[in-house]
Amino acid sequence: MAQTKQHFIVIDDSKLDCFIAEKIIRNTGKSESIRSFQVAKDALEYIQNTKPDENAHTVILVDIQMPVMNGFEFVEEFEKLPLHITSHYTIYIISSSINDNDLNRVHNYPSVKQFLNKPINSNNLAILLQS
Amino acid sequence: MSTGEKIKVLYIDDEQNNLNGFKATFRFDYTIYLAVNVQQAYEQLNAHPDISVILSDQRMPDKTGAQFFEEMREQHPQPVRMLITGYADIESVIDAVNKGHIFRYIKKPWTDTDIRSAIEEGYKFYLTNSMLVAKNQELQSAYDELGKFAYSVTHDLRGPLLSVIGALDLAKTMDSIDELREIFDMMDAAVRKLDEFVKNTHEYYNLKRGKLVFEELDFNSIINDMAAMFKIAGKMDNIRFSYMVNQKEAFISDGITIKIILNNLLSNAFKFQRKNEADKFVELNVDVTGDNAVIAVRDNGIGIHESHISNIFSMFYRATSEEPGSGFGLYNVKDALNKLNGRIEVASVINEGTTFKVTIPGRANGTN
Repeated sequence: MAQTKQHFIVIDDSKLDCFIAEKIIRNTGKSESIRSFQVAKDALEYIQNTKPDENAHTVILVDIQMPVMNGFEFVEEFEKLPLHITSHYTIYIISSSINDNDLNRVHNYPSVKQFLNKPINSNNLAILLQS
Repeated sequence: MSTGEKIKVLYIDDEQNNLNGFKATFRFDYTIYLAVNVQQAYEQLNAHPDISVILSDQRMPDKTGAQFFEEMREQHPQPVRMLITGYADIESVIDAVNKGHIFRYIKKPWTDTDIRSAIEEGYKFYLTNSMLVAKNQELQSAYDELGKFAYSVTHDLRGPLLSVIGALDLAKTMDSIDELREIFDMMDAAVRKLDEFVKNTHEYYNLKRGKLVFEELDFNSIINDMAAMFKIAGKMDNIRFSYMVNQKEAFISDGITIKIILNNLLSNAFKFQRKNEADKFVELNVDVTGDNAVIAVRDNGIGIHESHISNIFSMFYRATSEEPGSGFGLYNVKDALNKLNGRIEVASVINEGTTFKVTIPGRANGTN
């Protein structure tokens, strides 16, 4: 079984949503580390300046509607980063949006694996733990 | 014709005598502009874009009246067009109707009554059309706003709800009282945010649809009511709140709208404070004369970055994620000020503070 541990990055301007995501991820016992950011720019800087862990993969959960830099803007900036960084990450968009434009827009970004509905719970988290 | 300004009429004819005669007959009833050829007609239209009725002779050397109408419609679609001709040839009538979209066809020699009734009727048509254009624009902007609104409502209403649902799910698995308390506090914040959003939505609706009620306002009593609430909030967060009201003359305006403005500016000043600042303060200054109320709200909070200032009054714009906000507050302030013909100025320095200065003109007594 090649299932290695995963790192997690949660980006959401809602403190409560970050907290919930962190707890639920921690409860799975399959996370190497969890980091949460309420400001997308900070997350981007962190990713840019951190040497990726060669032995693990990192899952990013990012909200869409956030002030200053929203989820889509974050993904666009992320995709400009060099491949030796980006290849260590998988992005999931996680949102309360039920807007078709938002849902369809997700397909335009190769780095985004899937759209997940809020609230995050152990069931929809299981999907990304298998992959 | 209703009271007020005279109807503005342009008359085009290649015979100077006809022009003179027309003006002599109607100059008391209407504001008359004359043109001896198409070129001059354009000059008049460009110089007086509020011309509402155009009468043109059909037979002119450079162009027929029908051709002129067909051509001018693109640039000047609003004025109502009427053709005057002595030759009742059916082809030109058909052209004038189909291509020139004329409102009336007047036979030469005309009588004063013909012209007068044509102008009055044409003007009514012009007014209805102009109103329709204005209403359409209003409708379009309301639609645009509604789209934006519906989109954000799904986020701003659903967001906190889903947070609470998620938190409840999580809470069911928790045993530690401390952990539960922590999650309750956060749920509390989420529910309050939702409540704030609903309240703001209500304000928004009031501003959009509510009628203004003008009455004499006593700023001292308005602000005393509010200050009590803000003082308590300030004490909890260790923010000094001081205010000064200087009103010696009667001031007439809409109280509810002014309260919306004050409440939003003060909430923001209390909300966007620097956590590490030892001496946090909010100052409110109100200076009222009969003509103007000048309200200044000053804080020494986080400040607004220059690049955000032009956007802070946009609907749902949020310049920071430091504090929860609906992105509604300053939009409502601006909307409120538009209704009262007021204006707002912002001065802000990052990490030093922000001052909002609002000037609201008072209603002169007796007008409505």
